[in-house]
Amino acid sequence: MATTTDDLPARHSLGKSMKRKEDPRFIRGKGRYLDDIVLPHMLYLALVHSPYPHARIKSIDKSKALALPGVKAVITGEDLDAAKLEWLPTFHGYDKQMVLAFGKALYQYQEVAGVVATSREIASDGAELVEVEYEPLDPLVTPFQAREDKIILRDDRESKTNHIYHWEVGDKAKAEGELDGSAVRIKERILSPRCHPAPLEPCGVLADMNKATGRLTVYMTSQAPHVHRTAFSLVTGIPEDKIHVISPDVGGGFGNKVPVYPGYVVATVASVIIGVPVKWVESRTENLTTTGFARDYHMDVEIGATKEGKVTALKVSTVADHGAFDAAADPRKYPAGMFGIVTGSYDFPTAFAEVDAYFTNKAPGGIAYRCSFRVTEASFAIERGMDILARKLDMDPVELRRRNFIKKEQFPYPSPLGFVYDSGDYEATTQKALDIIGYDELRKEQAEKRKSGELMGIGVSTFTEIVGAGPGKHFDILGIKMFDSAEIRIHPTGSGIVRAGTRHQGQGHETTWAQIVAEELGLDPQELLVEEGDTDTAPYGLGTYASRSTPVAGGALALAARRIREKGKKIAAHLLEASENDVEWKDYKFNLKGVPGKSVTMKEVAFAAYTNPPPDSEPGLEATYYYDPPNLTFPNGSYIAVVDVDRETGAVIVRRFLAVDDCGVVINPMIVEGQIHGGLTEGFAMAFMQEIAFDESGNNLNTNFTEYLVPTALETPHWETANTVTPSPHHPIGAKGVGESPNVGSPQAFVNAVMDALAPLGITHIDMPLTREKVWRAIRDAEAKVS
Amino acid sequence: MNLEWNGQETIPASKATVWEFINDPAKIASCLPEVRETKISDAHAFDATVGVAVGPVRGKFTFKIVLEPDAGGSHMDMKINGGGLGSVIDLVAGADLVAQDDTTTVLNWKGTASMRGPVATVGGRVLDTQARRVIEMTFENVKKRLSGGSA
Repeated sequence: MATTTDDLPARHSLGKSMKRKEDPRFIRGKGRYLDDIVLPHMLYLALVHSPYPHARIKSIDKSKALALPGVKAVITGEDLDAAKLEWLPTFHGYDKQMVLAFGKALYQYQEVAGVVATSREIASDGAELVEVEYEPLDPLVTPFQAREDKIILRDDRESKTNHIYHWEVGDKAKAEGELDGSAVRIKERILSPRCHPAPLEPCGVLADMNKATGRLTVYMTSQAPHVHRTAFSLVTGIPEDKIHVISPDVGGGFGNKVPVYPGYVVATVASVIIGVPVKWVESRTENLTTTGFARDYHMDVEIGATKEGKVTALKVSTVADHGAFDAAADPRKYPAGMFGIVTGSYDFPTAFAEVDAYFTNKAPGGIAYRCSFRVTEASFAIERGMDILARKLDMDPVELRRRNFIKKEQFPYPSPLGFVYDSGDYEATTQKALDIIGYDELRKEQAEKRKSGELMGIGVSTFTEIVGAGPGKHFDILGIKMFDSAEIRIHPTGSGIVRAGTRHQGQGHETTWAQIVAEELGLDPQELLVEEGDTDTAPYGLGTYASRSTPVAGGALALAARRIREKGKKIAAHLLEASENDVEWKDYKFNLKGVPGKSVTMKEVAFAAYTNPPPDSEPGLEATYYYDPPNLTFPNGSYIAVVDVDRETGAVIVRRFLAVDDCGVVINPMIVEGQIHGGLTEGFAMAFMQEIAFDESGNNLNTNFTEYLVPTALETPHWETANTVTPSPHHPIGAKGVGESPNVGSPQAFVNAVMDALAPLGITHIDMPLTREKVWRAIRDAEAKVS
Repeated sequence: MNLEWNGQETIPASKATVWEFINDPAKIASCLPEVRETKISDAHAFDATVGVAVGPVRGKFTFKIVLEPDAGGSHMDMKINGGGLGSVIDLVAGADLVAQDDTTTVLNWKGTASMRGPVATVGGRVLDTQARRVIEMTFENVKKRLSGGSA
């Protein structure tokens, strides 16, 4: 039986809803974001963008822009090429990416030139004056057009095809054989549409080259400052010790602030050339049209089963749209990320998954938008597939899931697609969700409503995530193993400073990191200052994305603290005038075994570390740990949505939504709940509102917040939350991570609920987003068939 | 984003008068709504800077407009290329003139436009409405000019 947070033994610091230490500065408007930073003599960069999705660049005339008073420089791809700075490496190293369009523009809004000027307004006016002559070319708007290879997008590649890669995992022959022999079989094409994280603070950079010291300071909206420092060094050739990356307060990232973007490079080049700071902060349209998108997976999902509802095989074949460059932020060995989690929470005897990726005339990306590398796509595919199978079997979708859950005694569970799930109790988590929501009563209500033609739906999602990249033997970015790090310094008075290689963007690390260290050392979390985002002071880490901070850096923090405890034990033995073997850490202090009341606190030990260290020992009390986790973690949950659909208008009202999450040991329940609220709201947006769509000419149709909708408090449903706890057996504190679970787990609950509501009309599937128009059209078409 | 329009206008002037009018870049330019600046480049071409306000796309667009009259004096093609604020618009329009009587000419016209960039984001219905308004105002101005009024 899974436990709940309330069942856990009383802790010193973990499991407590401590208020966020970072909030006083944010709610007082005292956060310090990139655009708040103003340096003397600073210039501004504006970019010129291609209006065409595919066009040959015949000429670029800078003269009018350069003649505008205040314009200091105009930079083109040709200029960068001459300086050997035209191409950026992509994170997994299999492709390269243009900084500025050179020869051809490959997607609409691609950066073509940069104008540097004394004010933001003059830079924008200057960008309008750059005259670019284009020869429009036919665009490739879909991956299905691209795979025909009638137009080859990338002249720069030796391989004259738009096909980027084929990736597969599992036993294809066995899976297909089992599918052929299955009594019941479903197949559905399911789209996880192109969407965008759209953080409220867009991306930006302020590059400051000091020609006197030869040192480049780069302030940037970065989720991974150390990786960016290394990337800057690799691209520019500047030695890494001469680069200082500072990521100030970041206003949301969701994966969007992991890649390196052309604006960063052009601003840096301009600062290096001109010798003064150059700032670039993108507009909302630039953010939506050029920076890392997410998803865009067209998935053919096939499931076989017995008549009794026991699954026999899974096959998923995916066509992926990667845009003009293969800039997907996936680890080198996993070009399709963790898509192998597509078997979900179910015990499939055999499975096979494959992904074929193609270049198209769209912005590059494929970032992990609040998910751990393609996990949202995989989770959506299996959870929709299971619902469609339940419909075919005429079986309750919860009952089908229960018949196929991986049982708690099967953990650690080796999946047919190669992962080893760490822990979970899906049955208990699901039962808790059913009890809270009153599932049986809702089904009865639904049956009554159907008699009068009302469209009420109940959708479930019993998902399993995979996060915490990761084990260095499997995962890397730019070849760098995906460990993370922590450094703890305890001051003589028992307060301290905690630094990590991560960079929060709203996750609350300044609070939760302090709680982890305080728990390990028996100190006051309020007296532990957490600092991230400065590469001159923080230990090297891979950053915050893909729900990796708690699984990886969280482990590093606990283990660094335990190193301090080890040293503290020696000091405590010295203070207690006892042998180290006679001292034990218990009840958050060092105790002399067998002598009740004879103990010293960590505060006393800290003071002694500087004033009275043991003879022949090193003074001070600090430790560093670089943690390479042995496995990934597998958060999971059972989500239930209840919706009412208006037959006349297609409007969907989300009446209730319950999320029961198992993210292992909870560090701060209030922060976890906040994370879940935010992720559910983003999942709701994906399900009902958001898509980066293109017309047949390759025009991006969702370039601002009037066309790409962000839910406000008016649209957002009320969220109900609960939790269970199955600690991760390999994580130092048993935590699994939670930031992405609600985004990964919720879209299919909403869609399953709407499809359940529309089931009496014979509607099986509608691709997201389920806008009123789409739902209304589906209802109208279904009713036309009947009448 | 591709849009198509067609229509018929009845103009209170003789076919010869209408033909002479639409062959004159200066006269055509004076009938375009929201024109800020025009520059006649030759007998059948001119540049125009116009104010545009379509949803969030607001500012100046510059266009090159080329008139291509048919030798028969009854058909005119007009090509408009240009844009601004990162948008590109390519428009081709054609008009056939039919004399209804000595003082009335019927003009049968059609146009197709392709749009790229932010202006295409605004959406077909908004753009279509806006474009129709511009077309209607242009013809209204032509009628006013040919019936003795000022555009």
